[in-house]
Amino acid sequence: MMLGRVGNGDVRRISVIVSLWRSKSAAISMVFIVVLAVIGLLAPVIAPKDPTEIEIFREVNGVTINPPFPPSGQNWFGTDQLGRDIFSRVLYAIRTSLVIGLLVRGGVMIVGVCLGLIAGYLPGVVAKATMRLTDVMLAFPALIIAMAVTAILGPSLSTVIIALVLVSWPDVTRLVYGQTLGIRASDYVVAARALGANNFRIIARHILPNIASPIIVAFSMGIPGAIMYEAGLSFFGFGIQPPMPSLGLIISDGRGYMTVAPWYTIFPGLTLVAIVLAFNFLGEGLIDVLDPRSK
Amino acid sequence: MIKLIGSRLLVLPLLLLLLSSLIFALLYLLPGDPARIMAGEYASAETVDRIRVQMGFDRHPVIQYLTYVRDVLQGEWGRSYQSNRLVLEDIKQVFPKTIKITLVAEIMSIILGVSFGVLAAVRRNSWIDRSLMTVSVLSLSMPLFWLALLLQLLFAMRLGWLPPSGSGDLFSRYIILPALTLAIPSSGYLARITRAAMLDTQQADYVLTARSKGLREFSVITKHMLPNAWLPIISVIGVDLARLLAGVAIIEVIYAWPGLGKYAFDALAHRDFPALQASLNVLAAAVLFVNLGSDVLYGLADPRVRAEENA
Repeated sequence: MMLGRVGNGDVRRISVIVSLWRSKSAAISMVFIVVLAVIGLLAPVIAPKDPTEIEIFREVNGVTINPPFPPSGQNWFGTDQLGRDIFSRVLYAIRTSLVIGLLVRGGVMIVGVCLGLIAGYLPGVVAKATMRLTDVMLAFPALIIAMAVTAILGPSLSTVIIALVLVSWPDVTRLVYGQTLGIRASDYVVAARALGANNFRIIARHILPNIASPIIVAFSMGIPGAIMYEAGLSFFGFGIQPPMPSLGLIISDGRGYMTVAPWYTIFPGLTLVAIVLAFNFLGEGLIDVLDPRSK
Repeated sequence: MIKLIGSRLLVLPLLLLLLSSLIFALLYLLPGDPARIMAGEYASAETVDRIRVQMGFDRHPVIQYLTYVRDVLQGEWGRSYQSNRLVLEDIKQVFPKTIKITLVAEIMSIILGVSFGVLAAVRRNSWIDRSLMTVSVLSLSMPLFWLALLLQLLFAMRLGWLPPSGSGDLFSRYIILPALTLAIPSSGYLARITRAAMLDTQQADYVLTARSKGLREFSVITKHMLPNAWLPIISVIGVDLARLLAGVAIIEVIYAWPGLGKYAFDALAHRDFPALQASLNVLAAAVLFVNLGSDVLYGLADPRVRAEENA
């Protein structure tokens, strides 16, 4: 099914959601993602504790113990070496992951789709040059290049996004290029040109709507990768900087306490896996509904 | 076939040039004055200036780049700012380590991925299939660095079966953990591809014929389905190898494996420009060669591509 401007667009859009809802895994992941988004938005309200609150000792059965405290009813995910509640830290960090996932993928789509459309629609030198550039970009060790970029710009939320967009667009460009190339020669594009439509109108009205499905799928399938890259950058110290919360940062902090406090590393990682899984299942559901041929 | 290889080989130098110029531009923008780094923190301004002129850091970047290309072609890759050793010598030492770990990981991934994929396809829709596919999705949803930490925690710290990090001289126990970590996500991917490719052959006429003439299931699978399922699998292995090369840096840093990825990471952390430049170039060039190699392999493996050449 195409998301084209054929018939009533609103009906189509609703039917996509209805079909998604019928797939069990896609429905569960949609609910989970909504829950995550709510957590991300309302972290300060939901979090059981202030994630910066320090607790340097605790009395358990008359014995004084020092942090990191293991998971308990009080601290579901345990605490870190300063006695801060890891569950609350994780809730705050989910926001960062979601923001990164959406913004990086949005940026990648803008750059990747534009370049892919241009290369696919204007063959010749432009197309050749663009596609050779994507070949080279795809050969780069993405994480190290992203690290170098954040090192150049100074690591922060916005530079992480820029760095990840910079290393992730070539995939989308290649996809859109291939799709555009296929549609450029189709009858309705030829007809539109014969009727005197200009290039912009042909791209916007005839090509883009017909490749919308794979683009939407690529948008959603790329979110997990962006979230994992951010965690990786932050883990190695080239991403989000404290005090901003990030799952990669928490895992990086926990690494030093892995033998005495494994929960410190494990729970933030499991959260990351859950987020990534949810987006992966949603992506697969979207493929089934929008673009079953590509499976 | 030969024409295909020929045209790809002709583009290769162009791609390498593009690649090295992009890396040069990136490093040129990297903060940190190379002359200052070379001279050391306490050197006087005059010394720094002298080094700048001596090394040509004051010249136009395009000239610097062209000089760099000339030097690289002549085998002069500069000296590391950190150790003052020849970068080319360092690369000769660390690159084989990366190749070793990548190949071991790829072999592990093929063994695990193809056998799990075949198993899942043969027992389609059973609990074996479902649990294997769940594990494969899980393996693809784990950040590599976290997986590395988990395996390190389990096999090295808790069970004590394998060394947590480092590398031995000979082929040793040190390689198992990092290679396995690297192999897990790609074997998950390969298992899915293999399963799909096997299922595709299930409906094919030759499989029906083989079944109807009474062949045992085992020989139907090994003699008729697998050989035809190999093509998509081979094409994925090439992509996979390139992906392993991209992920290898994470593994090398966490497991302290002295390969090219760790070398690049350390060079970036210390703003060691010659070392970083050389290692990025070599890593990216390796991926380009792998891509070329997998295209060629695919052509060799597909009788249809070969036939086109002869016709």
